[in-house]
Amino acid sequence: MAYISQYQYYENGGNQPEDANWGSYQYVSLEDIVTNFQLMYADNHTLVNNEERYKILFHAKRAIQELNYDAFKEIKVLQLTVGEECRFILPSDYVNWVRISYYKDGVIRPMTENIQVNSSLAYLQDNTTRILFDHTGAALSPQFSDLDIARITGQKPSIYLNRLSPYFGLLGFEFEGCWYFDFPIGARYGLNTETANANPTFRIDNKAGVINFDSLMKNESCILEYVSDGMENGDNSKITVNKLFEEYVYAYITYTILNSKFGVQEYVVNRARKNKTALLRNAKIRLSNIHPGRLLMNLRGRDKWIK
Amino acid sequence: MINQVRNTVLAVLNKNNYGYISPSDFNLFAEQAQLDLFEDYFYAYNYQVNKENARQSGTGYADLKKGYEEVIDTFSVSATLSQIGLPGSAVFSVPTTATTGSNYYFINKILCGSNLREAERVHQNKITLLNQSLLTAPSDLYPAYTMEGSLITLYPGNFNVVGFQPGDVLCQYIRFPKTPKWTYIEITGGEPVFSQSQPDYQDFELPLDDQTDLTMKILQYAGVSIRESEVVQYSSSKEAQEMQQEK
Repeated sequence: MAYISQYQYYENGGNQPEDANWGSYQYVSLEDIVTNFQLMYADNHTLVNNEERYKILFHAKRAIQELNYDAFKEIKVLQLTVGEECRFILPSDYVNWVRISYYKDGVIRPMTENIQVNSSLAYLQDNTTRILFDHTGAALSPQFSDLDIARITGQKPSIYLNRLSPYFGLLGFEFEGCWYFDFPIGARYGLNTETANANPTFRIDNKAGVINFDSLMKNESCILEYVSDGMENGDNSKITVNKLFEEYVYAYITYTILNSKFGVQEYVVNRARKNKTALLRNAKIRLSNIHPGRLLMNLRGRDKWIK
Repeated sequence: MINQVRNTVLAVLNKNNYGYISPSDFNLFAEQAQLDLFEDYFYAYNYQVNKENARQSGTGYADLKKGYEEVIDTFSVSATLSQIGLPGSAVFSVPTTATTGSNYYFINKILCGSNLREAERVHQNKITLLNQSLLTAPSDLYPAYTMEGSLITLYPGNFNVVGFQPGDVLCQYIRFPKTPKWTYIEITGGEPVFSQSQPDYQDFELPLDDQTDLTMKILQYAGVSIRESEVVQYSSSKEAQEMQQEK
């Protein structure tokens, strides 16, 4: 990709969208990576030769996918309102979640993943509990299982300390400045920290492609922070990688090709592997961007007295 | 060069009264010899690449590969491919005398689309799988092509279907050398006299340093033709000696 003028950078040459090139200099495109690799690393006199371009493209994309999963700190954020069915459909480029928050009154409240099952598939049954089938032999399913209905309608008590907790709103009494509560059975000793959260809860159904919330999230705003694989919905021209990882991607392609090629000496493969690993480590350190300015504010607290 | 080659061939053949070859025979032998040497350039090029990888080749004037490249490049042609079928079709004809002015020996690259992206040659046994691949399916950015008979099919199938412009598919290839032809004017009762002003005259297209090889090759064919094993042996040994020196 050619260098662009300042006008092209700031205002996209007068075209829309204006911000198309903002920050683009941090990245190198997939097209450049494949071209550069073919020019510089795949030739008659290099370790990689006679290799089809689609293989290079494949390994380049795989490298970018792997980087997107953990090394890049590029979190995508999507805010949506949860509907009546208390679910949030995962974004089309979703691979894994980082954090899910409940946004209310201008405050972002990170939510806790529910450790209990909150959604299930169900089959219709007759009064003798036999499963009902359609004419193709497939079992008939209701739209929602009883578990789902209980969750959506708020009939399912929560083990979390939110409004669905069986202890929520219990009457207590004050004695000498302390509040005491009665409990239905036995007594409560201490706090289960795992479930001590007042916010709504969620559970991700990966196969169904949805996040199921408890009824407290009905018509509430949810913020999903997630990672994608950087494939930009299959548009090759939009796939980019941070320049700090450029050399690593070349090393990754070299390694994977040599590793899968017949007759390449083991020491050559090992050299390529070590090179790839070292470059990934370097790139991660660079991307972590540790510098005095960042540490300064934290280190200022080092003499603070802990009460 | 063709006249010098012919004169040398005739001189060698006449030295011991081995015989004479007619202009038409000479032209046939000349074509065969040139094709043979032309193809040898690709093998020689590959040989030099391997020598370089074995660190047995030099730079500067010792860079023999560069010389071979230069000769091969003299046969390089860039031409627009002819579309087969309806406008928007992704099927094109391979370079032929009828479509691009010359037959191809080796297609080096095919560029397509308004941005002239290089299409990759994909074997027939891979193209189906490649089209089904999520990560590497041919796209506008990374087009591919297959060859079948005299047809080239570009992928993706809908490549530039909308707004396809003639000239959007270019091919750079190595053509075959033109058929050499020693032409002459008849004079009554005598030898044919060389004339390069004839419309069908065609000199050898190989460089001057191939003159010896061409002569030896033609002598081999001529020796076989006139059943003179000594001529064949002589020219074969000379050719082998020449090849050994060039390595």
